[in-house]
Amino acid sequence: MDTKTLIAETKARFNHNSSKAQLRDKYDSKLIVADQGGLWRADQQTISFLSAMDDNFVILMDTFDNPVQVNRDKLLIILKDTYNKAMLEWYKEWKELEQKR
Amino acid sequence: MKRGALLFAFNSPKFNYFEMAEYTAKRIEHFLQLPVAVVTDEQSLPEIPKFNFDDIIIVEPDTSNIRDHTIWINKGRYQAYNLSPYDETILIDTDYMVNSDKLNKLFELPTDFCCHDTTSFLMNPAVVQEVLSVYSFKTLWATVVKFQKTERAKQIFECLEMVQKNYEHYGNIHSFIGGVYRNDYALTLALRIANGHTSIKSDIIPWNLVHVGKNTSILKDHDDEFGTQYVVMYDNWKRGKIRKEYCTIKDTDFHVMNKENFVELMSE
Repeated sequence: MDTKTLIAETKARFNHNSSKAQLRDKYDSKLIVADQGGLWRADQQTISFLSAMDDNFVILMDTFDNPVQVNRDKLLIILKDTYNKAMLEWYKEWKELEQKR
Repeated sequence: MKRGALLFAFNSPKFNYFEMAEYTAKRIEHFLQLPVAVVTDEQSLPEIPKFNFDDIIIVEPDTSNIRDHTIWINKGRYQAYNLSPYDETILIDTDYMVNSDKLNKLFELPTDFCCHDTTSFLMNPAVVQEVLSVYSFKTLWATVVKFQKTERAKQIFECLEMVQKNYEHYGNIHSFIGGVYRNDYALTLALRIANGHTSIKSDIIPWNLVHVGKNTSILKDHDDEFGTQYVVMYDNWKRGKIRKEYCTIKDTDFHVMNKENFVELMSE
């Protein structure tokens, strides 16, 4: 029996909240980046902080709570790139999900 | 530095773990492009394996663990350090469904040993994180472990051996039932001991281990061998009635706790 028939016969309901939570889990891990001896999350906060600073080298806490000195420009480029790629994929999947009933 | 994946597969009267290892190895090779070695015993090894393992390591199995009235050979995981032919190894349970290259990220983490401490259950977000007991620690998961051949990693595996050999004793101290040996519990204790009775944040994989748990089944929603789309069906019990719910997932690795379900996915 194919999955569509099975879903129809069991009268299963599509659970949006579970799908949404699963997408968050999936894409959260894609935002993680190891660079310059630290582990980072390519999130809005880190990208904003790095953008706001103007020194070449800055010290910031990584996700392991260790202070790491980094080349700001280099890390910023990597984080922006990771963020854009992951969020674009997330957004596409989210739009598909929204159409499901 | 040579990298690879290591699987432990010992057949039980109920399940053919070697076949599960062959299936998982194929997916590891496809998605992670890693060589795969398997640790097994003479009885489990078929005449002609369906997968060309990088290395087949034969050991004498420890058959002293019993679960659900049947032998469950899950002891001896501490040997992974000595048996692994790789400098950097991802030790994976045979019932872990690889559907992406996510695990390759483990090699980038600045640590010589890491495992999961947090799980998320598909379709069931309300499940609380498991603890050894109400008086003890949050459980770590031995489902996916990355380690390098370092002195510290060696000590962790030596501690794992020590905990396995004194499992009843640790069960008494931490108030869990020591009857059935669980690698997850042994790892939780071994890692803490090796770290001087503390926990180190960098030993934790920075994403959740996705489980397919109770009342949940997973069905293939693809025809090709390496398809990654699945339908997750969940029996949501409300006021004594079951409401069937589902969602779809793709490119997501998950651990199937129900072995029958994993076998179904292999054979479909």
